[in-house]
Amino acid sequence: MNQFAIDWYLIALLIFTGLYCMLASRSLVRQLVGLEIVSKGAMLCVISAGAYSNNIVFAQAILITMIVIEVVVVATGLALLVKNFRVNGSADVWQLNGMKG
Amino acid sequence: MDKGLLAYLLIPLFSALVIPFAARGREKLADILANVTLLAGLVNLLWLALRPSVIAGGFEEIPGDGLSLLLVTAIYLVAFCVTFFSAWFVPAGMPNRRAYYSLILVSVAAMTGVVTAADFFTLYIYIEVLAVTSFALISTDDSPKGLEGALKYFLLSFPASALILGGIAVLMMTLGSLSYDNLHIFMSSDVPAGPVVFGAALMMLGFLIKSGVAPFHMWTPDAYQGAYAPVSAHLAGIVTKISGVYAVVRMASLLRFFDGRAQGLSALLMLLGLVSIAVGALAALRQTDLKRMLAFSSISQIGYIILAAGLGTPLALIGAVFHLINHATFKTVLFLNSASVEKATGTTDMDKLGGMEHAMPWTSWTSVIALFSTAGVPPLSGFWSKLLIILALWEAGLKGYAVIALLFSTVTLAYFVMMQRKVFFGKKSDAAAAATEVSAPLLAPAVLMSAAIVALGLLFPYVFSYLKMMAGRIIL
Repeated sequence: MNQFAIDWYLIALLIFTGLYCMLASRSLVRQLVGLEIVSKGAMLCVISAGAYSNNIVFAQAILITMIVIEVVVVATGLALLVKNFRVNGSADVWQLNGMKG
Repeated sequence: MDKGLLAYLLIPLFSALVIPFAARGREKLADILANVTLLAGLVNLLWLALRPSVIAGGFEEIPGDGLSLLLVTAIYLVAFCVTFFSAWFVPAGMPNRRAYYSLILVSVAAMTGVVTAADFFTLYIYIEVLAVTSFALISTDDSPKGLEGALKYFLLSFPASALILGGIAVLMMTLGSLSYDNLHIFMSSDVPAGPVVFGAALMMLGFLIKSGVAPFHMWTPDAYQGAYAPVSAHLAGIVTKISGVYAVVRMASLLRFFDGRAQGLSALLMLLGLVSIAVGALAALRQTDLKRMLAFSSISQIGYIILAAGLGTPLALIGAVFHLINHATFKTVLFLNSASVEKATGTTDMDKLGGMEHAMPWTSWTSVIALFSTAGVPPLSGFWSKLLIILALWEAGLKGYAVIALLFSTVTLAYFVMMQRKVFFGKKSDAAAAATEVSAPLLAPAVLMSAAIVALGLLFPYVFSYLKMMAGRIIL
């Protein structure tokens, strides 16, 4: 088994850990943590792919940009969580049922 | 990056930076700056695309691939209508008025970036910027429903981004580059395409989630219904179309679906399109909230675009792009009208409305034009795009798909006529009794868009020659 196979095995494990975290928890904060884990797994995919195709410089360059973008997205998500907690008074994902049809 | 259109990205961005500082203490200045920026861009773009010498030359002088220019014009048109509407709709004391206009301008800049990008990485970045501005815009008025819609959008579009990242990784391994041109050249060659198509399929899955196609549509109605009223027009009219559907159409043209190099993906996409048409139309039939019904109708119309993109022949791509433009025009009218109804009566519940026709004649009749265009009544623009899509399906030998698409077009007419009867015709309800027509500036965007619908339908030969030029450039 070469090194990249181990990489991708671990990445798959990481992504499924994140998905399990999302499925198993009711708290919105934990959902966000699960999402973060999934997205970190996807980023590791990019860096591993860059190393595999001898393209590591390009991969590093785009990965840094991706991290910056992701921080912005997560910050917005956290702001939404906080505001939701203030307005609706709960961080339970099952309480998000105000609209039906 | 298409450099000719870079100014249309930078100028709104600059305006968005200026507004929070310049308009402090002078709230009206924010309205004026945002509107002037977008109107100037729109006039500029229309001159670029529609000056007499360009039309006489069969649109051959258009720079770039034509698709970018067309979509940037649509973006500016919808965004201008929304900001013009907002200038009179947003109450004077709203604390975050400057932030609201700034965010709309940033989202315009991001959308321009999406449609002018020439590689998948740039596309990904602009789509994320667009998503961030949409979360903030949906929850503009801090209502519980708006926050709920924004959270649902966030929780579904984040995994979609992870899928796009995975697709980028696979493309980097198999193709060694992320530019559109390389993918296009690769798909024209004879090298077995399996791994590259797998990477493209992962990305496409992400874009399908972001565009709200049937099995992944759960966030769409909530986000549109919960959003602040003018924002839902912005979101439904253009934002989700650019962040999801445009990318799917672009990838369909790059993957050359019509010569069968990515047969499985093409078939899957067409199936999802068809499911989306059916689910959206059937769910729209039983809605009681006006905005929620329009959201389901939006899912159904996206289904037509995805169906045509999945087929991928030049005629189908022409139909898909034209339906994308038409969707922007008629859905903006309908959502802006729902905002007007909400302002006049204070509710969007269709069971409480009724008999608004005499109180709000302009709103009523622009709605009729938009819904006829959606349902495909000739000679309005929606008829031509649906005709092109169904003709393309028939021509490719997919008669079953063509017949089902045609049948659900009549379901579209059914739910819209039902909507019109419940809201505007019939007996006056209590909510409608005190309602009066909204002021002229609030009507102007809907009237402008209705005029665009009629004009695009009546001047179809010119539109078709433009679209034919565009299809030739993006496919070959």
